[in-house]
Amino acid sequence: MISSALLSVVDELQAAVGRENVLAAHAELVVYECDGFVIEKNCPDVVVFPRSTEDVAKIVRICNSADVPFLPRGAGTSLAGGCLPVGGGVLIVLTRMKQILEINLRDRYAVVQPGVVNVWLTNALKGTGYHYAPDPSSQGACTIGGNVATNSGGPHTLKYGVTVNHTLGIEAVMADGTIVQFGGPAEDPTGLDLTGVLVGSEGTLAVVTKVWVRLTRNPEGVRTMLGIFDSAEDATNAISEIIGAGIVPAALEMMDQGILVAIEAAFHFGFPLDAQAILLIEVDGLEAGLDAERDKIIELCLKCQAREVRQARDAAERLLLWKCRKQAFGAVGRLSPSYCTQDGVVPRTKLPHILRCIQAIGQKYDVRIVNVFHAGDGNIHPILLFDERDHAQVERVLAASGEILEECIACGGSVTGEHGIGVEKISFMRKLFNDNDLAAMERMRLAFNPHNRLSPGKMLPTAGACGLEQKHPGRRAAL
Amino acid sequence: MTAVADSLPLTETHTPPDQAALAATVADAYLAGTPVYPLGGGTSLDYGQAASRPGIGLATTGLDRVIDYPARDMTITVEAGITMQKLSDVLAAERQWLPIEVPAASSATLGGAVATAFSGPRRYGSGTLRDYVIGISAVDGGGMPFKAGGRVVKNVAGYDFCKLLTGSLGTLGVITQLTLKIKPRPAGSAFLACDLPDLPTAERLLAALVNSCTSPAAVELLAGPTWRDNAALGNATAGTVARLAVGLEGMPGEVQWMLGQLASEWRSLGITSSRLLDDERARQLWSDLSEFPASPTAPLVIKANLVPSRTTQFVELALRIDPQASIQAHAGNGIVIVRFAGFEAGDVSRSLIGRLQPAAQAAGGNVVVLSSSLGGLTRQAIWGGATAATEWMAKAKRQFDPKNILNPGRFLYDNL
Repeated sequence: MISSALLSVVDELQAAVGRENVLAAHAELVVYECDGFVIEKNCPDVVVFPRSTEDVAKIVRICNSADVPFLPRGAGTSLAGGCLPVGGGVLIVLTRMKQILEINLRDRYAVVQPGVVNVWLTNALKGTGYHYAPDPSSQGACTIGGNVATNSGGPHTLKYGVTVNHTLGIEAVMADGTIVQFGGPAEDPTGLDLTGVLVGSEGTLAVVTKVWVRLTRNPEGVRTMLGIFDSAEDATNAISEIIGAGIVPAALEMMDQGILVAIEAAFHFGFPLDAQAILLIEVDGLEAGLDAERDKIIELCLKCQAREVRQARDAAERLLLWKCRKQAFGAVGRLSPSYCTQDGVVPRTKLPHILRCIQAIGQKYDVRIVNVFHAGDGNIHPILLFDERDHAQVERVLAASGEILEECIACGGSVTGEHGIGVEKISFMRKLFNDNDLAAMERMRLAFNPHNRLSPGKMLPTAGACGLEQKHPGRRAAL
Repeated sequence: MTAVADSLPLTETHTPPDQAALAATVADAYLAGTPVYPLGGGTSLDYGQAASRPGIGLATTGLDRVIDYPARDMTITVEAGITMQKLSDVLAAERQWLPIEVPAASSATLGGAVATAFSGPRRYGSGTLRDYVIGISAVDGGGMPFKAGGRVVKNVAGYDFCKLLTGSLGTLGVITQLTLKIKPRPAGSAFLACDLPDLPTAERLLAALVNSCTSPAAVELLAGPTWRDNAALGNATAGTVARLAVGLEGMPGEVQWMLGQLASEWRSLGITSSRLLDDERARQLWSDLSEFPASPTAPLVIKANLVPSRTTQFVELALRIDPQASIQAHAGNGIVIVRFAGFEAGDVSRSLIGRLQPAAQAAGGNVVVLSSSLGGLTRQAIWGGATAATEWMAKAKRQFDPKNILNPGRFLYDNL
């Protein structure tokens, strides 16, 4: 039920940005009750679609005067509940700010609005010899604003880095409604690197309204290989050998047998279904060095008992391989009605250990787990399969997820490599960080978002938020 | 530490043996309201405004241990007082490196390099220090130790204080420990260089490099007396206005290929004579390029950050102001370091604030002073004017150092 205070907010928002850019009817709002993290749901009270930075500033000022919480949302592909409107309030959906404002090849940057979908920029750059390097698997849907909020990665971050390494500047509407530019088209902006802090701040410090991104020269050549292994252990040893040999592949991805079966059913690539693990290895750079790197990689894989190492025959086969990899999550639907993807990180050399643990944890909780992940970065994505209608299964999945992430911490790793803390992982923050660390983070939030109206209940286990244990009214999947 | 004591109003200097002792020293200073001046190797103390309030020096040189070096994970965790040279030696044993050049590496510390966010010529191919810091520990202005990031190469848990503290000039916290992402050390390294008769020709070559088939490690545009008779580059041909040196690194076969390719690309642009520098001469030039910003005192050394296409215009302006200036531009990145030979107090408002800063700001960036023998420079002269972002920097500063005891008065904050 919408309160009278909110009713007047709706009126003001409609007056500020136009009636057609404001949603307030429950049937319309329910679309926005969750993002890619479906375990927890809560409807926003209002959804508003700004078309400009000035619109965002007006919206933020209206929320502040009415003391109503607000938060930004891009395409809603977050897997950690980053766009969940905890406690309701105004959801600022940035998908109508979708212009690529400038592409400057001489100075190797582009300026985009936050609602630009990642792949649109890549498409706009076709034929220029340049690309935007961060390529999350959801790049066909996710927005660059969202990528900035979560510091997104993707398969090619092993060599090229994550979103923050490609973000030169940000224009943002701060929590008090002022518009500020941090950084810009030139490197090394004077003073504190607040651009670097805003990237990955999950919408808790400001609403990003414009981004200056670095463009990267396309590699002259590329070699894509498929290492086929009879044991996951051998595959992970090969990863360690390749990196240890001083080779930094552009991408080094691993898929286990469980996921291969689903991918093969969906895309008919011709993967050997009896293989226990497959490594997708890509090296890029100057043609002059690529064959030598490829030969070395093949040699190292064979030394680690690879059954076979194939090379993508042509660009079409390479694209199909990457389609299989990037759409692997979609293929999971063939395995079970629901799934939960985890996002742990371990030092690369701990991959054999963590894979053994995942298997044991799956057996312990009677949960089927398949794996497809950024092996070169040590960034695991175990996919836990379940049926969300079955309360007991959901409980077991949550327990198994928790145990996997605790093991990542025990290995010296992290509970999120690219998805973010959101609401899903708030309870792990106390395990990764001590009270002092969290107090420092809390002060950062206090500095920029003193009333905590912007994205409350996210990222930090303070200000009443405590993740999945929290007891606020919300619609949950079978919980 | 005598040089250090000369440039800062220090009542005494502490050199804590471990991170806990360092935190205790800051906590005491907080209670007493005493300013704390963090010291690494003391190589960048001219950077920033002169300190006026007497306080204690806090040297990190007692914190120089390697905490963990899992070479196969390509990360290293070290204490912040480790010198850049020692770090480099440790990594070299595993054929790895941090591709960031810092002047005076035998005394400059990693913590100091991170606090000043200093990155040299290899930033074109390898990025800057901010791209390599993945975990950080520091002690804030209340004496509270805190950390962020971790020891894995990919990690988005919590705010990225690695970025916040990189370039914070010790004003938010005293950095005590760092985890770095590192890289394999390339086996081959060489330069291809050419002498240019004018700056428009330089811009033509720089613009063409954007679409070069090669992938340079560094793109350096050099001008002025320091570079005219540089031993590694050889004497400049008559009528040279600027010299372009492109660093190429990778496997030996790749470097060879790039040398041939780039020479041919230059020939097609009318550059008939280029010089190849390899082995000893390449090593010498890398070293000269690394050391340039810190060479002996000059009346004024500035760093401009620009969109790369405006580099040659800015170089031209600097040479108009002082034809004897020596200039090193990381031209692929739009970073220009100018060492003025003749620059007087009166030129600060006329030329620095009046011409150089506006030119850089019009090119998307700014000018900051790296060092100066002139003395008494204002905040405006050293850091450029305040922007809307400056106020938000001050908001962060107030939270991390509520009593303003960390390097007080030296950074660009307004209204603390």
